[in-house]
Order: sequence, then structure tokens, then C-alpha cells
Amino acid sequence: MRLKIRSSLLAVFRMALLSSLSTAAFAQEKVIRIGMTAADIPRTSGQPDQGYEGNRFTGITIYDSLTQWDLSSTSKASEMIPGLALTWNVDPTDPTKWIFTLRPGVRFHDGSAFDADAVVWNVDKVLRKDAPQYDPAQIGATLSRMPTLRSARKIDDLTVEITTSEPDSFLPINLINLYMASPAHWEKKFAAVPAGITDKAERSKAAWTAFAADFSGTGPFRAAKFVPRERLEIVRNPEYWDATRRPKVDRLVMLPLPESSARTAALLSGQVDWIEAPAPDAVDAIKKRGFTLYTNLQPHLWPWQFAMQPGSPFADRRLRHAANLCVDRAALKELLSGLMAESTGIVSPGHPWRGEPTFQVRYDPAAARKLMIEAGYAQVKPARIRVQISASGSGQMQPLPMNEFIQQNLKACFFDVQFDVMEWNTLFSNWRLGAKDPSANGAAAINVSIATTDPFLAMARFVSSKAFPPVSNNWGYFSNPDIDVLLAKARTAFEPEQRDRALAVLHARIVDEAPFLFIAHDVSPRALSPKIKGVVQPRSWFIDFTTMSVD
Amino acid sequence: MTSVSAVSQPHGDAGLLPRLDAMAVRSPSHRARVMRRLARDPIAMMASAIILALIVAAICAPWLMPADPFATSMLKRLRPVGTPGYLLGSDELGRDMLSRLMLGGRLSLFMGIAPVVMAFVIGSAIGILAGYAGGRINMLIMRCIDVFYAFPSVLLAIALSGALGAGITNALISLTAVFVPQIARVAESVTTQARRSDYVEAARASGASATIIVWQHVLRNVTGPIFVYATSLISVSMILASGLSFLGLGVKPPEPEWGLMLNSLRAAIYGQPIVAALPGVLIFLTSISFNLLADSLRMAMEVKQ
Amino acid sequence: MIAYLLRRVGYALPTMLGVAFLCFMLVHLAPGDPLVSILPPDASADLQKQLMRLYGFDRPLPVQFGHWVWRALQGDLGTSIATARPVVHEVFNAVGNTFILATLATLIGFTVGSLFGFVGGYFRNSWMDRAASVVSVIGVSLPHYWIGMVLVIIFSVQLMWLPPSGAGPSGSGQWQWDVAHVKYLLLPAFTMSFIPMGIVARTVRALVGDILAQEFVVGLRARGLGEFGVFRHVVKNCAPTALAVMGLQLGYLLGGSILIETVFSWPGTGFLLNQAIFQRDLPLLQGVILILALFFVGLNLAVDVLQMLLDPRIERT
Repeated sequence: MRLKIRSSLLAVFRMALLSSLSTAAFAQEKVIRIGMTAADIPRTSGQPDQGYEGNRFTGITIYDSLTQWDLSSTSKASEMIPGLALTWNVDPTDPTKWIFTLRPGVRFHDGSAFDADAVVWNVDKVLRKDAPQYDPAQIGATLSRMPTLRSARKIDDLTVEITTSEPDSFLPINLINLYMASPAHWEKKFAAVPAGITDKAERSKAAWTAFAADFSGTGPFRAAKFVPRERLEIVRNPEYWDATRRPKVDRLVMLPLPESSARTAALLSGQVDWIEAPAPDAVDAIKKRGFTLYTNLQPHLWPWQFAMQPGSPFADRRLRHAANLCVDRAALKELLSGLMAESTGIVSPGHPWRGEPTFQVRYDPAAARKLMIEAGYAQVKPARIRVQISASGSGQMQPLPMNEFIQQNLKACFFDVQFDVMEWNTLFSNWRLGAKDPSANGAAAINVSIATTDPFLAMARFVSSKAFPPVSNNWGYFSNPDIDVLLAKARTAFEPEQRDRALAVLHARIVDEAPFLFIAHDVSPRALSPKIKGVVQPRSWFIDFTTMSVD
Repeated sequence: MTSVSAVSQPHGDAGLLPRLDAMAVRSPSHRARVMRRLARDPIAMMASAIILALIVAAICAPWLMPADPFATSMLKRLRPVGTPGYLLGSDELGRDMLSRLMLGGRLSLFMGIAPVVMAFVIGSAIGILAGYAGGRINMLIMRCIDVFYAFPSVLLAIALSGALGAGITNALISLTAVFVPQIARVAESVTTQARRSDYVEAARASGASATIIVWQHVLRNVTGPIFVYATSLISVSMILASGLSFLGLGVKPPEPEWGLMLNSLRAAIYGQPIVAALPGVLIFLTSISFNLLADSLRMAMEVKQ
Repeated sequence: MIAYLLRRVGYALPTMLGVAFLCFMLVHLAPGDPLVSILPPDASADLQKQLMRLYGFDRPLPVQFGHWVWRALQGDLGTSIATARPVVHEVFNAVGNTFILATLATLIGFTVGSLFGFVGGYFRNSWMDRAASVVSVIGVSLPHYWIGMVLVIIFSVQLMWLPPSGAGPSGSGQWQWDVAHVKYLLLPAFTMSFIPMGIVARTVRALVGDILAQEFVVGLRARGLGEFGVFRHVVKNCAPTALAVMGLQLGYLLGGSILIETVFSWPGTGFLLNQAIFQRDLPLLQGVILILALFFVGLNLAVDVLQMLLDPRIERT
């Protein structure tokens, strides 16, 4: 009996020793542990969900796309550069056809070759409904970001022809969001689906589920460990095709920690080395403990999008201008401990698409009140508006305090603001249905934050009269013939400089019409342990993990 | 002794249910005696005083508040307790904590009491009906009640609010739905006991109609025990409601409510831990006062005549 | 006795069906598009229809319910919309994790609660009784999620002794009862132990008081039985009920831990439920609620039956 106890004690001791040994081995490996804001690990099968945070952690780390962002500069807006494609140009005889020349010699993590067939396969996974790899779960985050993409055709092993529904100069930028997963690896998973599952769609679903747990792309990191809803571990890919971008760290560990004070606790207790979006009120405490805070302007806009169909108070441009003049953005910035940039348009001054708007977005409540009085409102007769907002959500920053602050501001300019607070997914689905839908509940504005990475996402989908719900995100039914013409001009400008000039004219005009209450740009704050070196935080939603090292 | 499954909810009190038989069928003079005993119980008096003070503060908040609870000030955010002009500090938007806590008491107390009152009315009616009718009707009603009772109360409240969406009305509905089966069970068991008592048997034998029997005897005798049970649910309801707000399923901002304030001050816990803890302290204070009062009330009623 | 058993099981069956019905309807009360997490913002009506058919949301509700129950009986609760993983897998993983947490929490709560209950029952109506009952009432009056947050601040952020979230140094996949893993368990389990503590204390207090007041105990004392003998007698008599309450509390914690699991990111049922609600993942939501409720019904049944076997004197109504 006594012996038995001794031996079991020994076993416990040995186990403790072993686990401490494995921790020691873990410590020698260069690891970065990251607390993400996402509620779940973003999809790993190629087209991540969870917004651009998904692309940041399970997109560009594991996969590459034909084109990619240059993330090496902290001082200017990120530019598009070649990725898995070396060159591309539009067919001079038919501007709806693009020819992409692929990078030779690239291999997927499973060893299979990346070629034209792989590109066609990956386009088909989101577009061709009869393809075995067609995955309804992945199209959501994909097609909305490349609305004109129609099909792909192999010309030779390293040349692909891509077709769009209309001439669209934005296509190469949009394709940054189409990640190349390994067809060979997927076929293996598909072949291994139990014979008991006979339905074609079910078989495909099962193969994708297996692929998500053991994925294969061409990116700088490859699969190591996946615990659903808890953690994802990826390790360096020593054979990455871009020798200058082979990772210096061995392993990235990602944990979903949606609640900001829980993220802060994880950082301060040493459980993670890096957290996304620390709560502004915790920033001082975090800095005091020696962590480094990185920020930079992000292509992001936190607006109120106005409803402009007849009957909405904001159909009157004077009210749109008045609201824009009535928000004290500098004080709001203070509220967020400096973790925002004041917005005076969709893109900021200095951006190639900025242009020269006539209407200056600024804080001038006196001018705002004057406009309101002109429009027939007064202290005793305020404009009653309802705004749909969420309590949290990806990119929504601190929605409740920010909206409450704006509500107080607008009160001084004869706006009586009421909120419909809803859960993020509901707000998002209402946004797709538009301001005329019953789900809008008569709202005069909606607070959905947006990514402004490319011209389609930044402008086209909000101002085109072809983008009315349910087609795209022109929630407020904004329509202006001049703007439609300017947009068409930009879309068909295939020379990059010419395209940017056209976009600048378009943007200036949009600011003048003010379809948004421009409020804030996110600065993607993240707090990192000082032992992580070589961090370059670009003006982007993304960050390059390959430049980083750990002391 | 009754079956222990009645106590599967953490507040379905084992110390309470077996004693219902001792409480049922009371005379008016008993009520006076109970009140006298309560008055002599220092804990009961202290708890009542706290509850009374909180209720008065909440009701009179509009007149007693030192500042506008909605007025934000970016420059004066997260001030510590004792700052001049901000007796209990200020919150993440620079609003006066004292004023918000006072006004917040309205919704928090309301969310504690209203679902229990509603459940008291509905649950008692169902339970008394089942207990009085007996037989098949009892069986049918109680099986339906069992279905709701099969859910742990937190699970049911959160699942219902999650399905219905955030908001005061939905939170009210889900909390009521949580308590109705619990109260109905108690009401049914008390009524069944009362029905079998000599009073009611005698009344039946003398040919009184069902309505009169229910009204005169059953109702008068069973409401006391159900009431005691319901009092003990108020603190449960408060804590559940604050939990719903905490998850973002309850009251919507900018309305002050303690659970919601606790949630929105979460990030401030690193800078101003005391201010961030205040709503929690009030939830605790209210909840423990109701619990202690319910305990004392039960003890006062338990004593043999 | 067999008759009672059969009757008790007979009661449980319609309850279970009712529970299934309630779970199903509950989720269909939900406003909003069930495919919101995967449907593109610009989905054509055609694509939406196709997906609705793929996920079976296009059929009439009674048909969906029948289909769902039929598949559930075969152990298939469908696949999660957000993650495409089988719901049964997700739920049972989570139940396993919650079970680890709830077991330790129940043990702590039971030990401390019994202690307070004994003191209270032994010295009934004395100042010690009042003190013990005040302490146990504190347990039921605290918002537990808030205690969890305070503990994290003290033990994780300030002292850096214990990790603030998660279930083990490398995820919940390989749980082990060693130091590295148990460190993750301590804070949530301690927080959770407040839930059963109060109720156990009250139950034990009532039981001990009752037993001590019984005439035969007075008789035993009169015949010179020592305090220890009386104590043993009391323990023996109140153990079945106290243990039954403990079992039920364990069942309650399996489903009632959502706030604590959310605060500590403990990957259990409550955490899963929270995700299902906020991602509007209907199959997952239905699955979690159903499994938890059925488990609760089953546990109630098991405890009743066990208790009757242990103590056949218990009156059945």
C-alpha cells in the first residue's frame, strides 16, 4: 500500500518534471503568442472570416494571393505589389479580360506545385457551383470583395486569363483577397471522406472541414496545431519562396480573446506577448508595465452612414453638413486615449485618392446650428433621428461610449438622437437589407465601420446607384448622376496614376455630398512585449510577421 | 421530506420547502406575530433599512442627484472617488458616478423585483389551479412546468434573451419565464397540502362552491409561503439581470443600470479599480439585503404556534 | 419500487420531448437571418435559396423539427454554420471541459458549504449560526462573474501567479491533472464554487438541525453517547440528502456556468453557448441547449432514483 502511494507520487512528480521540461523546450523555441480580438479562430481553409483581422492572422500568414500589399513602409499608404503573379495587364482588345503571368517554382506546404491550374481551382472554389471544391461557407468573405470577378481560364502552366463582368481597373487590388489553397492537398482530404457520406455537397463540406484542421498554402507559415475555438499554432516555412521574407520566429500562437479587459489581463499576466486593440483605458497601465504600444493610421472609417431616401431628414444635404460640423473629434480622440485619427473624409489628407473637397469637415457648432435653422429646425423643434448601432464588433472600436459622445455633441445642434442598439451580426445583416427595409426601423443612419483598402470597398459600394441593397452596401440609397459618371471614369482608367487621379476627383465630390458622418479612423493599436523586435507597423490592416524576431 | 430534485436550482431552497407544511394554514394573529418577531430581528431591520434607502434613492433620484447622469465630459473622465464635484468619481465618459448609481438603481431594482412580481402572479395562478384541480389537470400542468424546470435558470434566461435579442422587455420576459415554473411548483405543493387540510375538507363537506373555497381558504393560506419563497428570488433575479446586461443581452445604453455599468467600466479596472467596482458593490449590497430579509422572514414564519 | 422507477422514467420521457420542442422553438424565435455568418453581403436571391436548402431552413417548421429530432436520436445534431464542424463534437468537447471545471468547483463548494452548514446546524440560532448563515448568504449574493474579474486582477495581473484565461498551456485538447494544467483551473473553479457553497450550507444546516432535534438523538445523548458519537450519527443521516444536493449542483453548474466561462475563456458549454448566441449559429445553439437540458433531466432522474434506493423511507408524491 505504502509502496503504491510512493510510486504514484513518483509518477506525479515525474509528470510535473516532464511538463516543466517541455515548457523549457517551448521557451527555447522563438514563439510569439498573440491575443486576437476575434471571438473565434478565423477560418483557416483559405478565405478567412472575422473580417480583415482574419486575413491578418490566417490569410497572409498561411497563404499568398496573386497580388499583395507592400507592408514595409510605416509612413505611406500601403501599395499593391506582385505576389504569386509576376505581372498582369488588361487585354487591349477586350478590357474585361486580364492576363496574369505566374511566379515559377512556388510550392505549396504539401509539396505540390503552384501553377495555373491551382489559380483556376481557387477561383472555382468560390464561383463555379458545380465544382467539387465549391464551398458556400467561403464565398461570403470573398465575392463581396471582388464583385466583378467572373471566371478564370488556364492559358499555359504559368499564364491565366481572368474575366470580369465589366471593365474594372480595381480587379488586381481586389484579388489580394483571394488566397491560393493547395488543390492537391484538398483532393487528398476529399478522397479520405468516409464512403458513408454520399451526398456531393456533404462530401465537399467534410473535405473542407478536414482541410481547415490541416491546411496547406504557399505562405511563410505552415500548419502546426489547431484546437477549435481555443488556439491556432503555425510554424515557420523554411522553404518560403521569397527568401527575404522567411520568418525569423519559429512559431506563432493565436488565441481568440474577444473581451478587451480579458486581453489586457492575458498580456499583463504574461500569458501572451502581443494583444490587438488594448482598451484605451488600460493603455496607461500597459505602458507602465513596460509593454510597447504600436499604432498607425489604418484604411478604416468609423462613420454614420446616412439614409437619404425621400422622407429621411438626411435627404437634406444641409443636415448632413450640420452633423459633420457638430462632432468634436478632438475630444473624442481624448476619450479613446488618443487611439483614433480624426476623420475628414473616407481617406485622409496626403492619400493619393484624397483630392480637394470644397466642404471642410471640422468642428464648428455655430455653423452647424446656422444650417439647421436654415433647414427649419431649432432647440424646441429638433430633428428626431434614430441610429442603429452595435454594442461591439470587428472594427467597431468602442461603439457605445463613442456613440453616446456623438449623441451628446449633436444635441447642441438640434438633433435628438435615439439608438437602436443591437448585436453586431444583426446590425450587419440589417446593413445589407438597406434603409428602406422594415429591419431599419425608420433609422436615419447606421453605424457600421468599414475597410477602405481598395477603391471598391472605400467608395464604389456606398455611392454607386448600382449598389443599392441588396446588391451592395449603399444602405442609404445615395444616388448622384455626377458621382456615377466619375466612378465609371475611375473604373476604366487602367493606368495606375490616371486611376488615382480619377479617384481623387471622385473622393472630393463624395466628401462634398457627405453621405457619411465622418468621425474616426482606427489606428490599429496593439501592445507588444518589448522582447519582440523588428516590428514594422504599416498603414494597413495587416502586418508582416516575417520581419519580427524574439530576444 | 420531499424529493430533493426540487432544489436542483441553486436557489430552490432545501431549507425552505420541507417547512411549508409548518407554515400553511395560518390565522391573522399569526401574521401580527410574524411582524413582531421581524421587528425584533436586528438583521432583518438592517436589511430592510438598506433596501428602503436604496429604493428611496432610486425613486427620488431625479431630485436627489447631484449632477446630470447623462452629461459627458471628456476632460473629467475616470476621476477617483472623492474628487470635488464627483463624490464617487466619474465613469468612462466623465459622467457623475453617484448620480448614475442612484438612477441606475431604478432599473436594477426594477429588474430584480418586476420579474418576480410577474412570476408571482402567473406562477401562483398556475400552481394554485394545478394544486386545487388535482388529477389529470394537475398532471398536465406540472409536466409542462417540468419542461421549463429542466433548464438551469441561468441557461434558460440567457438562451431566451439570446433568442429574443437585447432589451429591457426581452430581459423581463426571459426572467419571468425562469421564475414562473419555480413559483408554480411551490404554489402547487402548498395548495395541494391546503386542499387536503381540515378547513377545506370541511368547507367542501358543507357544500361551498369551488370559487369560494379557493378564495376564502386556499388563497388566504397559501400566499404567505409563496410570498416568502418569492422574496428569496428577488436577489437571484437581480444577479441574473445584471449578468444579462453584462453579456450585452439586457438593458441598452445610455440608460444607467448596475450590471451594464460594471460591464462598461471593465477596462477602467486597471486605472480606477474602486470606481469600476462600485456598481458591483451595490449589486452585492442589494442582493444580500434581500437574501437576509427573506431568511429572517422565513425564520419568523417557521416558529411553531 | 419497480413501479415507482417506471413511473419516474415515464415522467421523464415526455419532459425530454418537451425540452427538445422548447429548444427548437426558442432558437426559431430569434430574429435575423440564420445564415448571416456565411452569406455574402451581396448574395443573390438564388444563392440564398440554395444555401437555405443546403442547411434545410427552407422547409416548414414542423418538418424541420421532426427531421431534427429524428437525426438527434441517431446522435447527429447537424453541423455548426460558422465553423462547419459537427455540433455533437463541439458540444461533447465542451461538456468534457465544463465537467472538469464543475467537478472541482462542486468539491470546493461542498466542502466549505458543509463546514458552514454543520456549524450553523450544531449551534442553531446562536451567534455562530447567524455568522455562518451570513457568510453563506454572501456566497449566493455575489455576482460571480464580478468575483472572477476581481480574482483575475489580483492573482493574474498583480501577483502573476495564475493564468487569467484558457484551459491549459496548449489548449484543452490534452487535459491532464498536473501543475501546469491545474493552474488554469484554480481561478474559475474557485469562482464557480460560490454557486453551490450557499445552497449546500443551507441544506446541511437544515438537515443537521432537524436530526439533532429528533427525539432519538436526545435519547442517545441521555444514554451517555459522546459528542463524537452524535456527530457520526448526524453525518450518517444527512449524507444521502447532502450528496444528492451535491450531485444536482454539479448538474446545475454544467449548464449554469456561462458567465464564469465567458470571463475566463474556459472552453466549456457556457463559452460555446455564448459564441453560438453571438454568431447566431442556430444548429449549435439548439444542440448546446438540448444536450444541457437533457443532461439536467437525466441527472434529476438519477438522483431521485439513487436517493430512493439509499433511503426507501422518503415519501413519494
